[in-house]
Amino acid sequence: MTDFLPRPLPERRIFTIAELLAGVRALLEESMGRLWVAGEVSNLRRASSGHLYFSLKDDAAQLRAVLFRADARRIPFELEDGLEVVAFGECSLYEARGDLQLLVRHVEPRGRGALQLAFEQLRARLEREGLFDLSRKRQLPAFPRRLGIVTSASGAALRDVIEVSGRRFPATPLLLAPTRVQGDGAEHEIAAALAVLASLPPDQAVDVILVVRGGGSLEDLQPFNSEVVARAIAGCPVPVVSGVGHETDLSIADLVADVRAPTPSVAAAAALPDRAVLRDRCARDLLRLYTAAERVIERAAARLGQRSEALARLAPRARVAAQRVRVEALARALERTAGRHAERARSRLATVAGRLDSLSPLAVLARGYAIVWNVNARAIVRRADECAPGDHLRVRLGEGELAATVEETLESARPLARGAESA
Amino acid sequence: MDEGSPSAKIPPASTDELPFETALTRLEGIVQTLEKGDLELEAALAAFEQGVALSRHCTAQLEVAERRIQVLVREGAGFAARPFSGPEDAD
Repeated sequence: MTDFLPRPLPERRIFTIAELLAGVRALLEESMGRLWVAGEVSNLRRASSGHLYFSLKDDAAQLRAVLFRADARRIPFELEDGLEVVAFGECSLYEARGDLQLLVRHVEPRGRGALQLAFEQLRARLEREGLFDLSRKRQLPAFPRRLGIVTSASGAALRDVIEVSGRRFPATPLLLAPTRVQGDGAEHEIAAALAVLASLPPDQAVDVILVVRGGGSLEDLQPFNSEVVARAIAGCPVPVVSGVGHETDLSIADLVADVRAPTPSVAAAAALPDRAVLRDRCARDLLRLYTAAERVIERAAARLGQRSEALARLAPRARVAAQRVRVEALARALERTAGRHAERARSRLATVAGRLDSLSPLAVLARGYAIVWNVNARAIVRRADECAPGDHLRVRLGEGELAATVEETLESARPLARGAESA
Repeated sequence: MDEGSPSAKIPPASTDELPFETALTRLEGIVQTLEKGDLELEAALAAFEQGVALSRHCTAQLEVAERRIQVLVREGAGFAARPFSGPEDAD
């Protein structure tokens, strides 16, 4: 009979919403666990707490997601709307709203590496900001007084820089600000090293800084792709040359630096003048110097000649003998003075000329050539018809001079006796 | 640079501590002044002498044998530059 009686209904249990959702949540978390899910980021919102709220969607569905601040900080790139990602996390229920949501622990971009994406994002952002503009690039000093180097004290990059500086311009002192160049926090060390080098007292100041590192993986080069280092280079009051990695690596540091070199060696070469070129330049300057000095002496000698003659012409014959004597003594004194100058200059020139043997006009004289000075015409003789029989000549030899008189002028040179080479 | 103008006084002969760039600029200023040829004989010879000294100074700097490599080390609150003997002795 009891069969006919209505079975007592199970006791009606009324859940609170919170209880229900807590139950669902427990089920969700137990049965789904942690998982990877792919989708496109949309409706991204960054809360003031630092947590990121967004939706993950595909063509058919969408899912709310949250990435808490602590996890967000570990992601090298920026989440942004439209980005295709793979997210790792757990499904949960946001009970206050009854929303299903994914608690994201980790996100990776799809189709490329996280670091690659981070690089592209930072590059685009800093470019928009104008940090790579050519107008920002400063010129390097032609002759740095002191070269600062930011790199590892034990790396091949430093060895390369030292080697190149020894070849190109060893007189420029080098000052190393040692840092780590890879690993967590290296970017802050690099930035600090730049700041220290840029704020040295004037007697130690550097006027160019090299930021260099040998090649490595994208992970190894990460500090040079960081915003911290980019800003440190951009804000550095001293011009910066970057040489990071191998020829093919391009870093953010390269883009911000005033001069970008493909390797540490090239960076050192870009910062230092080439002494082989400077040697030539100094030698040329020296040659010009004494060529000019010789001309000065020649002109002075010519002027002295003119004045002595003018004196002789103007002196009235009837004047007192004492006056003539005085004038002659004066002229002789003048001549002696000029001669002394000429002699002094010649000996200096000879000293200098020794080092530039083949180029030196004095060396030419020493090889047996002579300079012939026509005393009457007051000019250097280059052609026989510039002289007339009876003209007085001064013949300047490698050592000393001759006073001579022209006997005869001949139109073309006759072969010299015994085939001597002298002209 | 007024070292290139003919009226510029030729600087005194002490070149010991002169930076390379300054020495080279002066040398080339003197060369140009002398080449213009409007210096008095005495001034020209002094300029010539100065030029030779500057040239010697430049050449010596190009051939400097002793390298100066220093490393910044933390010292108290700041940093000091100390001789650096080479990449091998680091870390």
